[in-house]
This record gives sequence, C-alpha cells and structure tokens, in this order.
Amino acid sequence: MKSYLAILRGSYMIGLVYRYGFLFNIAGNVLYMSVTYFLWRSIYQGRETLNGLTFDQTYIYVALGSAIFILLKTYVDWQLAFDIREGMIATYLIKPIDLQLYNLFNSFGYALMSLSAITVPTFLLLVFAFKIQIPLGIGLVLFPISLLLAYLLSFCFDYFVGLLCFYTESIWGLSITKDIIVTVLSGALIPLQFFPDAIQKVLMWLPFQAIYYTPLTMIAQPNLSWETFLSMLGVQLFWVVALFGLTRLFYDQAVKVLRISGG
Amino acid sequence: MSLIHIQNLNKHFKVLNRREGIGGAFRDLFSGSYRTVKAVDDISFDIEAGEIVGYIGPNGAGKSTTIKMMTGILKPSGGVLQVNGLMPYNNRIKQAQIMGVVFGQRTQLWWDLPVIESFKILREIYKVDQKTFDEHMGMFNELVGLKALYSQQVRTLSLGQRMLCDIAASFLHNPQVVFLDEPTIGLDISVKAKIRSLIKTLNAQRNTTIILTTHDLGDVEALCHRIIIIDKGKILYDGDIKRVTALFGAYRTLKLQIDDYNDATIIALQDKLTDRFGTDNGSTIAQTEEFWTDVTFDQARTPLSDVLAVVMSNFKVSDVRVVEISMENVVQQVYDGALR
Repeated sequence: MKSYLAILRGSYMIGLVYRYGFLFNIAGNVLYMSVTYFLWRSIYQGRETLNGLTFDQTYIYVALGSAIFILLKTYVDWQLAFDIREGMIATYLIKPIDLQLYNLFNSFGYALMSLSAITVPTFLLLVFAFKIQIPLGIGLVLFPISLLLAYLLSFCFDYFVGLLCFYTESIWGLSITKDIIVTVLSGALIPLQFFPDAIQKVLMWLPFQAIYYTPLTMIAQPNLSWETFLSMLGVQLFWVVALFGLTRLFYDQAVKVLRISGG
Repeated sequence: MSLIHIQNLNKHFKVLNRREGIGGAFRDLFSGSYRTVKAVDDISFDIEAGEIVGYIGPNGAGKSTTIKMMTGILKPSGGVLQVNGLMPYNNRIKQAQIMGVVFGQRTQLWWDLPVIESFKILREIYKVDQKTFDEHMGMFNELVGLKALYSQQVRTLSLGQRMLCDIAASFLHNPQVVFLDEPTIGLDISVKAKIRSLIKTLNAQRNTTIILTTHDLGDVEALCHRIIIIDKGKILYDGDIKRVTALFGAYRTLKLQIDDYNDATIIALQDKLTDRFGTDNGSTIAQTEEFWTDVTFDQARTPLSDVLAVVMSNFKVSDVRVVEISMENVVQQVYDGALR
C-alpha cells in the first residue's frame, strides 16, 4: 500500500509542477458557468419548478456537474493508450506493482490536484459570485463519499477503454464514444429528471448514473430521506466492486496480446 | 540449478499482411491475411548466478523479445523459461522484485519529477529500507556523482546522465539479475566508458547476474565473459567471448570509393583479391551504401597493407576508410562458419 501512496504523491507533485495549466481550466469553467447560468435562467423564465426541480437545484446540479466533470476525467484511457503504443507499458510491467492500482493511484494524484485547483474554487464561485444558496442536509455530508465512489467508477470506464487499446492500438474513436455515452447517460449535462420516464427507468439500471447523477443529486437535493441516500450509495458501491472485478479479469486477457516492438 | 533456465523457448507473433496504398488499407479492414513471425525460435541456454552475458545480434534478431519474456512482460508461445525457478510471466509481481531492467530507449524514471523523487518512489515500490537506500545512494554517488543530478527534472537530463540514473535505479533494490537492453545506444565514447565501468563495478561488488543486449561490440568486449549471438530468432553462437573477439579483432572493413564504379567492379575486385591471396582468403565484398564498396577481410590472413596494395594498383580510388567490423558483418561471418 505504501508503494501506491508513493505513486500518488509523485503524480500530485507532477500536478504541482504544471499548476499553471489549471488556471486555464478555472477560466474556462467560469465561462461555462456563466453561459449555463443564463441558459437555465431563460429556461426557467416565469416558472417556479421544472420536472420537480427549482432553478437553484438545477443550476447547482449543472454547474457543479461541470466542475466534477474535470475532476472525474482520469485520462487513464489516453495514458494507457500512449503507454501501449509507445511501449512505455514495459517500464511499468517490470516493477512489482499491479497495473490497475498503479493507474488508479497515479490518476488520483492528479484528481487531488484538480480538486483543490478547480472543484473547490468552482464551489466557492457558485456560492459567492452567483449567490446560489446551497441547501443544508445530510446529502451534503454523504456527498464526498459519493464523489469518491463516482471517481472509482469513472476510473473503471477509462481503464477499460484504455485496455481495449491492447487490441486496437488506437484510442481516438473509443475514447470519444465513451465520453459521449457516459456524459449523456450519466446525467452529467442535464439532470436525469429531464429525460422521459421510460428512459429514466432504464438509465437507473445502468452504471452511468452512479457517476454524475448520484453525487450531484446529493448536493442539489440534500433533504431526501436517509433510506434514499443509503440505497444510492449501495448502488454505487455495487457498481464499483463489479466493474473493478470485471476490468481485472479483462486485463488478464488483454495483456496477453501485448507486443512491443522496437527495443 | 542455474539462475536462468531456457529450453526450446518460442515467441510467435501474428502479423497482418498489410496491402499497399489507401485502397489496400481499406481492403485490410475487411479481409486480412496473417502470417506468423517467429521472433524467438526454439532457443535454449542456461545462465549461472554472477555471470555477465552479452546477448547480441542485429536489429530485429529477437534480443528484446527474449528479454521481455525473461522479465515477465511477454508471454512465451512455448517452451520452458524459468528465472530463479519460477516462470516470470505467471509470477510477474513476485519476480519483478528480484530483477532490475534498463531499456536504453525508454526511461523507467518519472519524466516530470526531479531525479531524487524517482528514487524515493522506487524505494517504496521495491520496499527498500532506509538504511540500504542511503547506502546504495551513497555508492551511486561515489561511482557516477549522482548527487549533482538529484534536483534536476528527469526530462532535462542529457541522454548519458539519464542512462546513468536509469542503471543506478535498476540496481537500487539489490536485484539478483539485471537486464540491460541497449544501455549505451546513442552515447558518446566517454559516457560509454563511464557506463561500462559502472556496470562492471556493480557486478563485481554484488555478484549480480547481468544480461546485456547491445549493438556495440565494444560493450561486449569490455564487459562479458560469455556471448550469445542470435539472429532471426535462432542462436548462432553461445560460448566464450575469446573466440569471438579473436574474430572481431582480426576483421576490418575497408570502405572504398572507386571511380567509374559499375556492376562489374565488385567481380573484378574479387578476382584481383583471389589472384593475390587464393580462393579461401576470408574476404567478402559488398556495396552497402551508394558510392561505397566494402571489403571485409581477415587481417590474420590478409594484412591491411597487402589488401590496400591490391586495390590501389588495380583501381582508381578517390576515398578510403577503415572501420571496425559491424554487428551485421559478425553475424554474416558466423553464418559463413567462422566460429565452427
């Protein structure tokens, strides 16, 4: 375990080395928040609630959604694809470390960096610049746990797509397709309440909603019942365990086709 | 029981026969014919603890593939492969603890971090205790002045500095066996010498087994007692370096720029050499690059001055260079039965 913490520490330090890149992320995020603010203002024109959500609830959901989006993007798919194509993967496989855990802790270091550099500033902007009242409730307490589980899930998807590169040796199409599927089906762009009922029901059975919808709901509607929150966390935990196990099995298959040429 | 035991080891890759052009690329999408490439073809050898073995061969001979099987990265297609009694691929994490690896073309250090941070991370990964760590870092500092590089980002190191760091890193956890895959590639003579003495010292002090693949015959001459020559996936020679150095030492290649070069020149030159030295004189002639004709000859049988005299008195030569024999030439000589 200590060895993986050392890896995490290393990637956090690399994040610090390139901290100026994050400034652009914050600027981009402020722009996005402003645009969505006015977009949803006009959608809510003269209406108190839409699909059971108030403007504040929707806006907290959407604005924090974009902040979390940057946090939950692990880029493990791109990293793995690069490592496989360039043969760098060999330098990890010669070390006494597990590839899945290596990638998890390595990406988590960057996530901690963007948490402090992007997610928290966005949250503060939301409260102080856009004057949004964050409602208090138990959801707020459970939100960090849910966010961590969401991160693990997002990692599993990225890692899975990265592993596919053992076969395809290319990443563009795969990664973009995954991003679109996850973004739309997880409720990252708009709350799932805005989807038709039938589709909502289907989406609830898929793992995607556990990445964005679950943590965002906890913070946008923190006054739902304990039972609701606990079952939401239970579902998240189930998907984390299942997808971690499946990607491990898939790794054992995928690594067999590895070929490294040129030295 | 030997440290590394390899018997009838194979590695086959299935490769798509790509067709030419855009049309061909489209057709490859739908129907592909595959061929099997035998990167490593039925090789066997044993390596004892403490040996330094030179594992050499031309580009694409199967050197790196063998190394990658021994380090547990690639799964063999068939045969027996044991390092310290275990099959590396099936016990990758356990085996990695007793191995050190340097890939000359890739660094295993953290590209964006200062050198010392990479060593600290490696210390945790390999579970090296603080006392051993300090001891080893002190020794690396004595040998190559590592301390001066501690605070430099790895990506800002020169190739030679980076290689010294990489080699030091591969010895950090006191491995039983270290694989050095082209450790001197692209380096100048002085850095090469530094790296050779580092390897030699580490081997002597720890009795670490070292397997060295290289293109540079100088590395092998300086470091190895035993040499394995591989080409096209097969072992051509496995034995004492002395027989091979005798061969390398004696052979030279004379590069000639002959005026009025035409297709008949090589044959004419061959005839003149045969006239002078007899049919079995051990020389070969080839045109390896434009305008240059290469005469490779055995100094023991045909002294340089005599060969030059034959050439000069029969051809108009505008430029001459004498070079040491190349890896490709050695392999060719071995094929032709030089070591039999």
